[in-house]
Amino acid sequence: MKPDERSFRIALVADRYVNPPRGGLDALPVLAAAGWGAMQLPADDYPAEIAARVLAEVTEQAEEFSRHGYDLVLVGDRDGLAEALAAAGLGVPDRIVPSDAAALGDFLNARPAPPVSTWSWLTPDSS
Amino acid sequence: MGVAFVAHCLLNQNSKVGDGAHCAGIYSPVVDVLRDKGWRIEQMPCPELAFTGLNRFWAVREQLDTAAYRRHCQRLAAAVADMIAVRAGQGEDIVLIGVEGSPSMGVRITSSDPARGGLPEWPEGTAELTSGEGIFIEELRQELGRRGIAAGLGGETHALPDHDELTQRTRLESLLGDR
Repeated sequence: MKPDERSFRIALVADRYVNPPRGGLDALPVLAAAGWGAMQLPADDYPAEIAARVLAEVTEQAEEFSRHGYDLVLVGDRDGLAEALAAAGLGVPDRIVPSDAAALGDFLNARPAPPVSTWSWLTPDSS
Repeated sequence: MGVAFVAHCLLNQNSKVGDGAHCAGIYSPVVDVLRDKGWRIEQMPCPELAFTGLNRFWAVREQLDTAAYRRHCQRLAAAVADMIAVRAGQGEDIVLIGVEGSPSMGVRITSSDPARGGLPEWPEGTAELTSGEGIFIEELRQELGRRGIAAGLGGETHALPDHDELTQRTRLESLLGDR
């Protein structure tokens, strides 16, 4: 079996960096190159009640990652995110509003490796 | 062009069951095709992650197919269907991209073994892949059907033993191009 290649690093990413407007920053190739996963935050044009439900689901998943020591960061912002995270006892992760791809890459690559001590059963060369 | 609602793990392999992550984070082959074709990306939640957690065992459909997991998937499917309804209402074409072989996100191939349970000691290579869809995809398709929303369906195949990246890309391009 191929070793598990997860990075234990996840960015909560505002929609405008996942679906950038013309000339905007596309965060996905930067995240991919740096070895980070993405959790997309709801787009700003969703009605508030839909966005709130999505943020609740994002929070529930972020809580599971946080519990296991995965590193979480926030790229951009989303109204209601801080409140949703707080409801689960989570703070807002370290955040960047990147000016360009280089700034985002530097921010991601400067993060220390997460400990993830509970995952010792993974294939040894995978983490 | 339109909106592709993609399985959570295609943007975040950290959500996969242990020993199931094929890359560090973003599974770029799918993203690349969507970008090339100009499709908007929307990430669906991982139904297994919040319900059974990161330390879950590999599971087949029968192990997850409980009333509680169905209710969980129905709740998530309703939330995703709300988002799809917004985009469909804007006149966008919609496709769902699941993960073939998954007990939850499979579109045409899921994992099944009615005998599986108890102490996990089944041998490596047990034939569990079978025709069918995963539980979340089934619930989401039914929810969209109740709302009268049409969506194309495709499955990413990187978890299958006969996965071929070029074939996968061609299938995905065909799915998007047909709309």
